[in-house]
Amino acid sequence: MAIIELNKAKKTFGSGHKQVDAMKETNFTAEKGELIAIIGPSGSGKSTFLTIAGGLQSPSSGEIIINDQNLSNMNEKSRSKVRLKEIGFILQASNLVPFLTVDNQMKLLDNVKKDNMTKKELDKLYEDLGISDLRKKYPADLSGGERQRVAIAKALYSKPSIILADEPTASLDSERAYEVMELLKKETKSNDTTTIVVTHDIRLIDYCDKVYKMTDGILKLQEKQESEELKTS
Amino acid sequence: MFLAWNEIKKNKLRFTLIIGVLMLVSYLVFFLSGLATGLASLNREAVDKWDATAIVLNVESDKSLPQSSITTDELNTIDEKETAVLGQLNAIATSGELKQNISLFGINPDEFIMPEVTEGDVFTNENEVIASDTLQDDGFKIGDKLALSSTEEKLTIVGFTDSARFNAAPVLYGELSTFQKVKFGEGSEENKDQINGIVIRGDEVESITTSNNDLEVIEVETFIENLPGYTEQSLTLNFMIYFLFVISSVIVAIFLYVLTVQKISMFGVMKAQGISNGYLSRSVIAQTFLLAVIGVVVGFGLTLLTGAFLPSAVPVAFDIPTMIIYGLVLIVVAILGAVFSVLTIVKIDPLKAIGG
Repeated sequence: MAIIELNKAKKTFGSGHKQVDAMKETNFTAEKGELIAIIGPSGSGKSTFLTIAGGLQSPSSGEIIINDQNLSNMNEKSRSKVRLKEIGFILQASNLVPFLTVDNQMKLLDNVKKDNMTKKELDKLYEDLGISDLRKKYPADLSGGERQRVAIAKALYSKPSIILADEPTASLDSERAYEVMELLKKETKSNDTTTIVVTHDIRLIDYCDKVYKMTDGILKLQEKQESEELKTS
Repeated sequence: MFLAWNEIKKNKLRFTLIIGVLMLVSYLVFFLSGLATGLASLNREAVDKWDATAIVLNVESDKSLPQSSITTDELNTIDEKETAVLGQLNAIATSGELKQNISLFGINPDEFIMPEVTEGDVFTNENEVIASDTLQDDGFKIGDKLALSSTEEKLTIVGFTDSARFNAAPVLYGELSTFQKVKFGEGSEENKDQINGIVIRGDEVESITTSNNDLEVIEVETFIENLPGYTEQSLTLNFMIYFLFVISSVIVAIFLYVLTVQKISMFGVMKAQGISNGYLSRSVIAQTFLLAVIGVVVGFGLTLLTGAFLPSAVPVAFDIPTMIIYGLVLIVVAILGAVFSVLTIVKIDPLKAIGG
């Protein structure tokens, strides 16, 4: 069963002569346990795709269905609820609250949402991510890589059905970047979530089950072979 | 509360500064209220002590007790059970080196405005008086003979009583005849029915009437408001207090707004994650509430502490219920100041935080 589905979803800005198609008519589905990469240069419409898939805005036309809920005509308040329940964001700039310790970042989610990970599950997650020693630390005391791992923990903590990662490796060196992707892959498989990584870093596509390429607002699935070519070109 | 408290804990200096400002504003409000209460009781505490409903004065006196002149016969025009005659005059009392403005009350000791003595005895003879205990603080003692500015008569202090100041002057209570001797000198016999007013303790001021059209029934509160300078004084201080409420609201609004603007991207990310406007707004309100409560409580304590060390010449009196109300008002206006920040948070577009 598709956990997220875009049916003929399209996003246009402006009107008349000035009308711009940020995202042309797009069909997209993703299943549980899939790690998907969306690659493309900046301005290609990746971010538009991400914000629509993440329920941050509605498509101009077409449908977006997340876990059987049609978000197309929802208002911001209802979409906000869907986001809280279904989606874990990992953002370019870390999405951590500066005045909360690592533990309290998770506690904040307990304050706004039920059915998060149990203490045991969280301990295991911390261990998997290698951040067990950082529980009492504030984001400012962490390195870039540590912060990104905490952000992953935060995204996974609420047990979302979809994880949306926007350039999750942007601030990391290659080694750290591979490490983060490895972790994302592992968590996707072990928690049976769907992870969509939006990036322009084609080195990351080795870790992904499917690779889509976004060019001028058109999303296209890449065959394995094509992906290899992308990498070498 | 979770976000609010953790943020305060992490940014102690920043929030200590805000609390400091709130504390100073509340300190000023409490102190001014203390001053207002103190100055008010300086004028009215003797009248308050009567626990009366109304006072009957001559219409021509324009609600001024010293200017009113009536006779004890007027009691017949008033159909009330509890009445008390009152003669009053202002004078300078001198005892050796000590000099003080006083207000002499001539009363009948068996009527309800007779004060209870806190020290010494009640007057039993002419020219004996019970004095306000503020005179005691000034150095006057029981047995002192007071020379008055307007007469050859000398008055002897036989006792002291508390809460006895009228229009900023300490009160001397004496027999009606004592008052008449001071006022009329040799002519006191012919004027032994002369008084200034009749104090009445009844149910409602509306039901108190007099059949003499030359007399006026004045509600006690109205009478106090017409004491020279009283209304002007309390209006000035109250105006300052009300203005401080507005100021503290604006200060809190500015501080919180700046803090909120600094955190816009953080709020945006939280909203993107699906944390509701309601939760974030409640958090800001809770934070303001915490800051305001801490500031007001510290300001309250500081005010009482200052009051304890002030010389008695400063007319400060702390009316705790009034101060509690002012404290609550300060907390409420601080929260009103936070509304700006709430509006800002509601307007943040989570889409921008993601960079869409």
